[in-house]
Amino acid sequence: MRNIIDTLFFTEILQGLGITFKHLFKKPVTLKYPFEKPIIFDRFRGIHYIKTDEKGNPKCVGCYLCQKVCPAECISIETDAGPNGERLIRKFEIALDRCIYCGFCEEACPKDAIHMGRRFDTVDSNRSKYQVNMGYLVKNYKKGE
Amino acid sequence: MVNVKIDGVDVQVEPNSTILEAAEKAGVHIPILCHDKVLKPFGACRVCLVEVKNNPKLMTACTTPVMDNMEITTKNDKLAKIRKTLIELLLINHPLDCPVCDKGGECTLQDLTYEFGVSQVRFDPKPNDTPVDHTNPFIERDIDRCVLCGRCVRICDEVVNIQAISFQNRGTDTIIGTSFNQPWNCEFCGQCMSVCPVGSLNNRVYLFKNRPWNLQKTESICGLCSCGCSILIDSEDNEVFRIKEDYDLGVNKGLLCVKGRFGFELINNVKREKNSKIKVGEEFKNISIEDAISTASKKLAEIKSKYGSDSIGVVVSSRLTNEEAFLARKLAKDVIGTPYIFSSETDDAMPEGTYADIENADDITVLNIDVTESNPVLGFFIRMTARKNEGGLRVFYPKMTALKRVASEFYTGKPSELLGLINDFADAVEGKSNRCSEAASKLLAANSPVLVFNPYSKADLAVVSRIKKAQPKVKLIPCKLKNNSQGIVDMGCATGADLVDGLGRDKIKALVVLGENIAVNPGYVNLVGVLSKLEFILSTDPYFTETSAISDLYIPVATFAEKSGTFTNFEGRVQTVNPAIDKGLISDFDLLVSLINSLGGKAPDSVDAAQELIRKEISNYSGVDFNGGVVEYPYAVKDVNARYEIVGSGSYELYRCSLRFHSGTFTTWSPDLTKVYKEATIEINPEDAADLNLKDGDLVTVKAGETMKKFYVEIEKYNPRGVVSIPMNYKGTEAILAKGEYQRVELIKHA
Repeated sequence: MRNIIDTLFFTEILQGLGITFKHLFKKPVTLKYPFEKPIIFDRFRGIHYIKTDEKGNPKCVGCYLCQKVCPAECISIETDAGPNGERLIRKFEIALDRCIYCGFCEEACPKDAIHMGRRFDTVDSNRSKYQVNMGYLVKNYKKGE
Repeated sequence: MVNVKIDGVDVQVEPNSTILEAAEKAGVHIPILCHDKVLKPFGACRVCLVEVKNNPKLMTACTTPVMDNMEITTKNDKLAKIRKTLIELLLINHPLDCPVCDKGGECTLQDLTYEFGVSQVRFDPKPNDTPVDHTNPFIERDIDRCVLCGRCVRICDEVVNIQAISFQNRGTDTIIGTSFNQPWNCEFCGQCMSVCPVGSLNNRVYLFKNRPWNLQKTESICGLCSCGCSILIDSEDNEVFRIKEDYDLGVNKGLLCVKGRFGFELINNVKREKNSKIKVGEEFKNISIEDAISTASKKLAEIKSKYGSDSIGVVVSSRLTNEEAFLARKLAKDVIGTPYIFSSETDDAMPEGTYADIENADDITVLNIDVTESNPVLGFFIRMTARKNEGGLRVFYPKMTALKRVASEFYTGKPSELLGLINDFADAVEGKSNRCSEAASKLLAANSPVLVFNPYSKADLAVVSRIKKAQPKVKLIPCKLKNNSQGIVDMGCATGADLVDGLGRDKIKALVVLGENIAVNPGYVNLVGVLSKLEFILSTDPYFTETSAISDLYIPVATFAEKSGTFTNFEGRVQTVNPAIDKGLISDFDLLVSLINSLGGKAPDSVDAAQELIRKEISNYSGVDFNGGVVEYPYAVKDVNARYEIVGSGSYELYRCSLRFHSGTFTTWSPDLTKVYKEATIEINPEDAADLNLKDGDLVTVKAGETMKKFYVEIEKYNPRGVVSIPMNYKGTEAILAKGEYQRVELIKHA
């Protein structure tokens, strides 16, 4: 009997609609992502940045420790001696698409240079853009990301 | 033998051996910092302190000799505390710049810090901060990182005998420096750098290029001179990053020379050809390697059928491996059927003495060769022995060489006088009484004498064979020039056939040149005109050389770091070469296999198969271990009849000298070595230079007969007056040196 009434008067649908209607007046849980920024917690590990010293030069000295510790092998470094015998970094590249954002590089860095930032939007249209270099990482730091 | 107990382990050792050696035998680890096996005990760092029962004081394991029934403790809380404190004290002044230090990852101080668990220094750190010294082209010196272990000072003194660096000042002001803080006056052998336990002395060629943990190590044999040094090739991604020594490996006891240690960039040289080239008209065109090989075999078959089999000649370089030389002979003799197989090597002198013979020698004669330049590692052994014996080294050479510091008798002078003196010496050894009788009697009285000589000079060989007959005990050491000079002789590539003769007779129509640079070899230089008339020249070389430029087909091949095989050094020791990298090029071996197969022969398909064939066909290689075995030779020196001759006329006497930076044309492809020595220079006495109004770096024209050639001047105070020298086998010197071993020349100052 009760079954027949439920079927005739769509009570279950109305119940469901009731819940929907109730949520219309609640604070929304989701974020309208590109327009609204999410809250990033302090210990979040996003796209890396490299700190600079007082003169604005990157603190990185190219010691290869981050490359060694990286479990995803996404960091590639090439160093060389400069004309005055100083240490030069010829190449410092991170493959953001290979990175697993574990933060080991940050921990291994003896010079407090590489850090995990707060940015997470790695989406891009082109795979080659995931290969980021020292200039990009320093710019990230200067932008405060 | 004495009985010693180390950490409860009983061990029997030779009397007078140190606690450290005993511990090694017992398998007990004692940490060391300043000790080195090659050097005398020093006891500077105190890291190896051990406790000896019934002895109130701690003993340094590296300097204390063992006594019978000694009971030694190497590990306890007291020792651990002392060792930890020692490292903490070192770390007061040692800057903690491991991230930028090239030694990071293979640093003894780092290792000891971990071993003793030093995580914090209790003292206030006062890191030094002096500028880095870059006056040495190969070695960077950062005295801040120095821990004053003295290893560099001692190896420079005890082994190299140059004493370029030493301790300066006293107490806490002590630093390692050169005399009067002048730029390094040294041979650039890099021995100091190889023993440095910290990053105080660094390799400038490798400086900051990579990290030790990224590098793959390959044991191999150096392919630059006939010393046959064991090396470790450190490579990553088919690029050689450095060449290191191994103290436990091979015959050279970890000693290397400037070209072996710093010349490796020639392997990575960007100017190396990747493509085979064929001459079309006057231009070279790239072709694929398959096409190049098929063209070569087609051409050779064509010429063979047209003119007969003896119209093809094969020139073998002494840089090829034994297996390649063996196949080259197979190609010439069995497949083509030509008697014309040429090389610049001689079978007049065969190896007899070894490094061990030098170390045990009580009397060494170095006859008319600057061994410290031509075979530097052999030179180190001679210096070490002469220093240990405090004498017993007799040198004949026109100028004072680096052996002057250890030689007990040094005969120098104008070639015209010196050569007479050498003849007198040989006469005296044979029993005549003359001005050399005293020296000769020492040689005759010696128990284990050694004679080091230049096997390429017929006149020297004549003297050597006379001395050998008069004193059969003398062990002969021929200073062969290149890595496999001996091997290609053994493989039958030095048949005595003369290229000049063969080409002169108009018989040869085609040449297969395997790695030899004919165009700059003084013996062959007059042939360049004849060569251009040949129908076909195939040249193989790692680089596009002067010879390649006159060839019709050029195939780029692998260097010693890219191929496997064996080299035979001047001792007759066969040693295995292992490939470290792959540059995508074929080796001479692959090329010869393809040529033999396509010309109707049957070649072994691998290096191992070729070695099996060598064992079968070359009788004195049959029972030899191809990884360090010494070949027995039927004779040491042939009876040669030749006299010293000085050709030409002029007021200056010219002789050929050797160079430690370059043995010929190969190492000139290393940008680092050419930075120090690029153009062939003429060495001249300062007084002569003053007469001619010449300064270092001026141009001077050497006139030998009709030939004139300009050279840069290098003032050399040890050259006697009226004597000049130019390096042999060096690009640019061939035209002059082709005239004769010793000649009189005129010098004309260039306006």
